[in-house]
Amino acid sequence: MAAAASPIVLPGDAIDPSLIPTSNKKRPLRLGPGLRHVPPDTLQSTVAGELITDPKKNTMYIEYNSRRYIASPNDLVIGQIHHSSADLYYVTLNPHAPQALLPHLSFESATKKTRPQLDRGQAVYARVAMANKHMDPELECVSQQTGKSEGLGPLSGGTVFAVSLGLARRLMLPRPREDGGVAVLDLLAEEEGLVFETAVGRNGRVWVGSESVRTVVVVGRALAEVDERGAGFGEEAQRKLVRKLVRETKA
Amino acid sequence: MPREAEPSLNEKQFVLQALKDNLRQDGRDLDAYRPLDLTFGDEYGHADVKLGKTRVLAKASAEVTVPYTDRPLDGIFTIAAELSPMTSPSFEVGRPTEIEVLLSRLLEKTVRRSGALDTESLCLVAGQKCWSVRVDVHVLSHDGNLIDAACFAVVAALRHFRKPDTSMEAGVLTVYTPAEREPVPLGWLHSPFCVTFSFFGDEGEISVLDATWLEEQVRVGSCTISLNRHGEICQIAKLGGTPVEAVALIQCTQLALTAVRSFTEYLDQKLTEDAKRRDKGGLLAELSAENDR
Repeated sequence: MAAAASPIVLPGDAIDPSLIPTSNKKRPLRLGPGLRHVPPDTLQSTVAGELITDPKKNTMYIEYNSRRYIASPNDLVIGQIHHSSADLYYVTLNPHAPQALLPHLSFESATKKTRPQLDRGQAVYARVAMANKHMDPELECVSQQTGKSEGLGPLSGGTVFAVSLGLARRLMLPRPREDGGVAVLDLLAEEEGLVFETAVGRNGRVWVGSESVRTVVVVGRALAEVDERGAGFGEEAQRKLVRKLVRETKA
Repeated sequence: MPREAEPSLNEKQFVLQALKDNLRQDGRDLDAYRPLDLTFGDEYGHADVKLGKTRVLAKASAEVTVPYTDRPLDGIFTIAAELSPMTSPSFEVGRPTEIEVLLSRLLEKTVRRSGALDTESLCLVAGQKCWSVRVDVHVLSHDGNLIDAACFAVVAALRHFRKPDTSMEAGVLTVYTPAEREPVPLGWLHSPFCVTFSFFGDEGEISVLDATWLEEQVRVGSCTISLNRHGEICQIAKLGGTPVEAVALIQCTQLALTAVRSFTEYLDQKLTEDAKRRDKGGLLAELSAENDR
């Protein structure tokens, strides 16, 4: 996780001007999630969390953990088909929230005649194509540039685990073990020799698939434990946890 | 009314597949409970029960009222169980769901109708004055097996509860405050507990103890058995669902008995611990006439 020096802010706190990165004059300052600009020159936090600043990119955002997902464009999410209409699937991203729309034609090589048949409750891996305020978000399972699925689409077999949004973000970092502090998946694969695939959705869903049911159960328990222990759960402790889980779960 | 969120097809199929291999999502055995945790509050009759992520709070209270005219020698005992939107967004106030009706009905049958509480001891003046004991059950978090957790909470709250001491002298009823006289426990006859089995598979051949919410959404039937540690069964509720073999049901009662014995042991241990915590200094402190300065 980020260096221990990053300050903790509460909702409504004004951000101290000394914290704003100034070294990079070429790029404009970009505000990420959790920050709000109140004209003329106040920066306010809207959530409680760690204030992270990146002087190189001239960005700042707040790293926080929550369970409620709010869609934003280009996020990869794992949804669940709720029902289908003439040319749309309605997809649940998180319960008790408006559903997202997934057009039948937003799949790889889908045409009016050859569109995918998905059952109710089927899990799909999709990208958020459009997300505006006051509108249902729109999803796609195909890249607009290449016309290929690029790994998106219905997820068959396996199961879906619910994790916190913070853990989902940490898992989706380019190097989750080094930057995110989540080593359990690597450890399970490398040291225990378990074979499984995962797909992480930014809406706090992790799909785990494997030939063996036991493997999926072990991975799910490891993820739940890491989620519960939070960011201070070090790699050595994770190694111990992995060993314990593999030993405990009978074949 | 918002509907309860359904698990995805993948999750449903996986739960079943795992159960067929004798595996559960949290690594428990099929006949194992999640870790049970009971804490008593500062007041008498306040029990907070955690069963995994399910959390139920029960609070017992008593007041003096007029008994029912058809039962002049009995006190009044009620259990009020309500599911609020805090538990899950699909629960609404004033619109009882099926879960809520079943919960209060089963608690009623288990604790009240089995005569766990001696209602005759609640009578103060025949036909005129009696104690009305009420237990309020609040479900704070719902992760399956509400019935067992709620029943344990109710029994724990009632056994922990102390009602104010009273005396009758020359037709005058006096209710003493805790400062005047130490409150007295309720007349308790036996401690019944609910044990719920969930059935899975096409024929309901897999039986599972203490199902989580995900498992409850996938199960094909359930059966709640209430009994006390002597093996006296108060009620068996098998409400709909797939028919289950009679032999399997008998095996369930055997399992239920061991579960209930461990419940009883745990509750007794917690009650003794709590009594010790309250009894600071023991009898000597009580007999001392010294004041706190």
